[in-house]
Amino acid sequence: MNMKKQINKSKYLIFLIIFNFSFLTFNLKSIFALNMESPRFKIESASTTSAAGNKQSANYKLSDTIGQTAAGEFSSTGYIVKAGFQYLHSIIPFSFSISNTNISLGNLLPNTPSTQQIVLTVNFGGAGQYQVTVAEQTPLKTLFNQIIPDTSCNGGSETCTESMAKIWNSNNAYGFGYNMAGDDIPGDFISADYFRPFPDLSSSENPVIIMSSNNVGKNRQATMTFKANISPVQPAGSYQTIISFIATPTF
Amino acid sequence: MQNSKLNIFKYFFIFLIFHFSFLIFNLNLVRAQQVSLSISPPLLEVIIKPGKSLMVAYNIKNTGDPVILQARIVNFEPYGNLGQIKLKNSLEGPIRFSLDNSKIQLERPFFLDTGASDQLLLRIRAIDGAPAGDYYYTLLLETDPQNTLLKDSGSQAKAALGSNILITVTDSGLIEIKPKIVIFDIQNKINLFGKKLNIIDSLSKIPITLIIANKGKNLIKPEGSINLYGSFGEKKIYQLIPKNILAESERLVEASPSANYLFQGKPVSLIIDDFLIGYYHLNSQISFGDNSPTLFAKTSFFVFPFKIFLLLIFIIIIAIIISNRLG
Repeated sequence: MNMKKQINKSKYLIFLIIFNFSFLTFNLKSIFALNMESPRFKIESASTTSAAGNKQSANYKLSDTIGQTAAGEFSSTGYIVKAGFQYLHSIIPFSFSISNTNISLGNLLPNTPSTQQIVLTVNFGGAGQYQVTVAEQTPLKTLFNQIIPDTSCNGGSETCTESMAKIWNSNNAYGFGYNMAGDDIPGDFISADYFRPFPDLSSSENPVIIMSSNNVGKNRQATMTFKANISPVQPAGSYQTIISFIATPTF
Repeated sequence: MQNSKLNIFKYFFIFLIFHFSFLIFNLNLVRAQQVSLSISPPLLEVIIKPGKSLMVAYNIKNTGDPVILQARIVNFEPYGNLGQIKLKNSLEGPIRFSLDNSKIQLERPFFLDTGASDQLLLRIRAIDGAPAGDYYYTLLLETDPQNTLLKDSGSQAKAALGSNILITVTDSGLIEIKPKIVIFDIQNKINLFGKKLNIIDSLSKIPITLIIANKGKNLIKPEGSINLYGSFGEKKIYQLIPKNILAESERLVEASPSANYLFQGKPVSLIIDDFLIGYYHLNSQISFGDNSPTLFAKTSFFVFPFKIFLLLIFIIIIAIIISNRLG
């Protein structure tokens, strides 16, 4: 009897050890290290240094100030450089932010739209024109090339295109698309129910402008809402894509 | 027998907890990754002789999370007449680009930590015998999306920040200036039986559109003003903003840097919001630097307070009716 009790005790002990081990193993915090090496490149040091001192030579001196066209300067150096916008009298950095580059739509369920939002911010001092374009590298797809098609919105008279947003509020209308709200957005995003499909770079479609201003101020912000809705026959899987944003100032 | 059943139940219970621990603690965490980048200067204009080279320092700063970036140059062309651009996915033309940095190269990834800034020392060279003309490029600073989100469905955002480079190649220093005024007109005109007349109500805004075309092979920069002259000697001058008009393209030219001129959702050059009465002349004189042709355009319009006039007539009629009834 004692022998049996001891065996049972040792069994419980083994289970307890395994149980604790599982805690230790599976509750490890992930370390978010950026991938510093790939088949294409290897970064030897995490910090980069610029070749300061190369900015000047016996023949020329770089300047961040605005230059003036001068025939003498051109004939002696062979070039004239002007940086920044002359009418602004200063060089204002152009900056662009995306609040979150990991846009998770979660576990997609049929006829249950899933949404996620990000905020795009453009800073260009007190003046200056800019544009932000967007495109998807491919439609949302799995590793086995199962595809969630780009949305057509509600369809019929409410069929949206890459350049025209229409209403998408039916749970029986499937696909992947986006809505815009905020500063400097296209006028066809009338409300939160208006969506467009992303232009597909894999189908040679051109990126479209989603933010632009003729005369921008500071902190121009727009919220992009991603939306996906799948049909009951959509194969299960993890659907992924890369959305490419390009922010450029004017000329 | 009873003891054995109890043991099985215990093992089953522990087994369940064990599996539960797998489910709970083995979930991948999804972390918000913010991208925030800046670049300066945002625009570079270069006039260069064939065979010459120069270097320009671009300051870049990362105010977001640590990021892997890649710098590359692509061509662009003007798109529309509002200063927008269309990037090409290629690099063409007689201009060669490289980075003089010791550790950063074009089209090779490099790391930029949070709060870190760096300089890209861009060398620009016009090859020997480069044909005269304009060549337009964008320096793109792109993020390299990492495969960090692969548990759920969703997408990763790839951000790119650009700075435009306008290069004029000329051996002699001479550039071609061939401007043309495409539109110089007022909007918001009174519509009479389908015909738009140059008559405007005094209470309405007066939007003015000035579009200039560049028919030459080099970019031009308009200098000048839009001038308003009234019949009673009034005069107002609105200076044009000297924005670049690229070769073989058109651009809406604005006449004040301090306001965003939108009329009915569309950009215009200028909006006159003053209370005007009478006959007005509007003209624009535009030059493009020393020894360049001067363009001149003019229009005229009549402004009258129609709405106030109609309101006064209505009030007078009502007053007459009331006074007749009282009398």
